[in-house]
Amino acid sequence: MNWRRILAVAKKNLQSLRHDRRTVGFLVAMPLFMIAIFGYTFGGSVENIKVYVVNLDQTPQDESVAAAIIADLQTRNTLKIVRSFGPEDAATDPVELGREKVESAEIWATIFFNETFTQDAMRVVSGETGLPAFIRVIEDGTNPNIAQAIGNEMLSAVRSVLGVSSFATPIAISPELVYGEDARFIDFFAPGVMGLAAMMVTFMLAIMSFVHERSAGTLERLLSTPVTEGEIVAGSALAFGLVGLGQSIVIILTAVLLFDIQIIGSPVLVLLVIFLFGVGNQGLAFLLSSLAKTEFQAVQFLPIILFPSLLLAGVFWPLEAVPELLRPVSSVVPLTYCVDALRSVMIRGWGAGDILFDLGILLLFAAVMLGLSAYSLRKRR
Amino acid sequence: MAGANREAEERNAEAADRTSAVVLTSKLRKEFESLVAVDDVDLKIRRGLLYGMIGPNGSGKTTLIKMLVGLLRPTGGKALILGERIPIAENISRIGYMPQEMAIYTDLTVHENLELFAELYSMSKESFETREKGLLKIIDLADRRDSLVSHLSGGMRHRASLACALIHDPEVVFLDEPTVGVDPELRVGFWKYFADLRARGKTVIMTTHYMDEALRCDVVGMMRLGRLIGEGAPKDLMERTATTDLESAFMTMARKVDA
Ligand SMILES: Nc1ncnc2c1ncn2[C@@H]1O[C@H](COP(=O)(O)OP(=O)(O)OP(=O)(O)O)[C@@H](O)[C@H]1O
Ligand SMILES: [Mg+2]
Repeated sequence: MNWRRILAVAKKNLQSLRHDRRTVGFLVAMPLFMIAIFGYTFGGSVENIKVYVVNLDQTPQDESVAAAIIADLQTRNTLKIVRSFGPEDAATDPVELGREKVESAEIWATIFFNETFTQDAMRVVSGETGLPAFIRVIEDGTNPNIAQAIGNEMLSAVRSVLGVSSFATPIAISPELVYGEDARFIDFFAPGVMGLAAMMVTFMLAIMSFVHERSAGTLERLLSTPVTEGEIVAGSALAFGLVGLGQSIVIILTAVLLFDIQIIGSPVLVLLVIFLFGVGNQGLAFLLSSLAKTEFQAVQFLPIILFPSLLLAGVFWPLEAVPELLRPVSSVVPLTYCVDALRSVMIRGWGAGDILFDLGILLLFAAVMLGLSAYSLRKRR
Repeated sequence: MAGANREAEERNAEAADRTSAVVLTSKLRKEFESLVAVDDVDLKIRRGLLYGMIGPNGSGKTTLIKMLVGLLRPTGGKALILGERIPIAENISRIGYMPQEMAIYTDLTVHENLELFAELYSMSKESFETREKGLLKIIDLADRRDSLVSHLSGGMRHRASLACALIHDPEVVFLDEPTVGVDPELRVGFWKYFADLRARGKTVIMTTHYMDEALRCDVVGMMRLGRLIGEGAPKDLMERTATTDLESAFMTMARKVDA
């Protein structure tokens, strides 16, 4: 292995990209485009969810826990209270009206505090009973995003009114969030999108470039010089790994500046994961390029590689949502480990020591792909 | 006793060949499945020669050269380049190769292509710069140094490809149809340069379909159906076959082989 020759091969690959403005445009625009779409679709927290509030609590207004919770809800705009009912409206059966409005999809939920809400809550405080006071939320569950947003919003209102839960929570179902206290959907997506974008770009650019090298005869010509198969493979890996890295930096900056994505762990570790993954992908591209005779045929490989990764690697939904039958596929798709590692670092704030398994798999992926690439080149002669 | 002597003699002869012959093959053979592309070729090319290889399309010229530069594995026979068994490793920087299919990076500039090959041959910056300047003059692309190869004409690309094969000033250079698509005036310049290379003790091995070019070679090898059917100075070849041009000489040789 001669560093000078490795660097020469890497430089050549990067120079080729520089002269190809369209490719560079693609490189920069694609992740921006992906992040923008995902960002605007799932980003910004869900806001102005229309709800009815029915407060039949008999306790006077200034002592009522229910009134305090409602007041707290009004300080934020996650929920938009389109109509409020007080104890004086009890005769008109506002709960039933609220239910009808939810059923007709005019509002997302009706939040109902019963007559004895504050009393019930106080009895829990004084230890008289363990039975919590109930806030009934009659809601439309068609959109899990919204259902989750309502649940979180109620929980945080209750918490802020009662202070740190010195009492048993008055809500029967209480989702307990360990990680991602403030995580929004976009935070869950961002690492997945980063891994996916890195995969698409390194794979596409590498396979196009290798198919072109093979059909133009330049790859063969290189082998008539002192450069070895291993050096060609290492130089290309370096170049495309760097491309993936550069692209990820663009994604991270966009994500942080435009969508306020959280990166709790080390950004350097994030980039290392992407680099390793990019190297592996370009190796895979190198191997597949020997099966494609034209650039057009090469493009046909993309869906084969893309779909399992897109659907089974946990980019859009957790791995737990993947059918049991397809789990083994998930576990051989390298993107699974990349995304898992990125999420652990970005959301959980884990360090390198905590993602050793993922790093190991990605390292293995890269090493095997590079080894096979060099071997396939040698065998050709 | 006599046998041992003969063996020793043969070994001596082989050693002598090794020093004077830059290319030495014996029964070199390449089969692609059922097709015999190169059929037991015995070649001996001495240092400092301009060796021209002629023969119809598909006669095995390119296949032979690719085996010699280490890009194809022979299916039989053996070959020595600069005394080293192919595929050579130790002497690889001492040879140059210009493939038939151009094979330079069209998305790089002429300069970037030359620089890449110079780096792969571990050339120093200074010697690269002087070599580049000289070669660009010969291929008449000095003013297109920073043009993308994809923006050059076909003939210009061929010229750039030739420069890449010569950038490291190799001792032996294999040129597969170097003058295809090159205009007559430049071709005259090329031949001056080839003569200059020979004068400096370099060995040039080239293929061509132009008989006027073959006539200027020191030795011409005639390939047909993978076999070397004749070899010698152009004048000798014509004398031997009692012809006045190389085409007729080739035809006569071919008939003789068939008979
Ligand atoms: N990779 C390959 N696989 C199968 N057959 C091949 C391969 N390369 C060359 N051949 C065959 O070997 C024969 C010799 O081809 P080669 O390219 O050496 O001819 P050539 O003398 O260089 O011809 P030309 O003057 O057209 O360049 C041809 O019949 C060709 O079809
Ligand atoms: Mg040929």
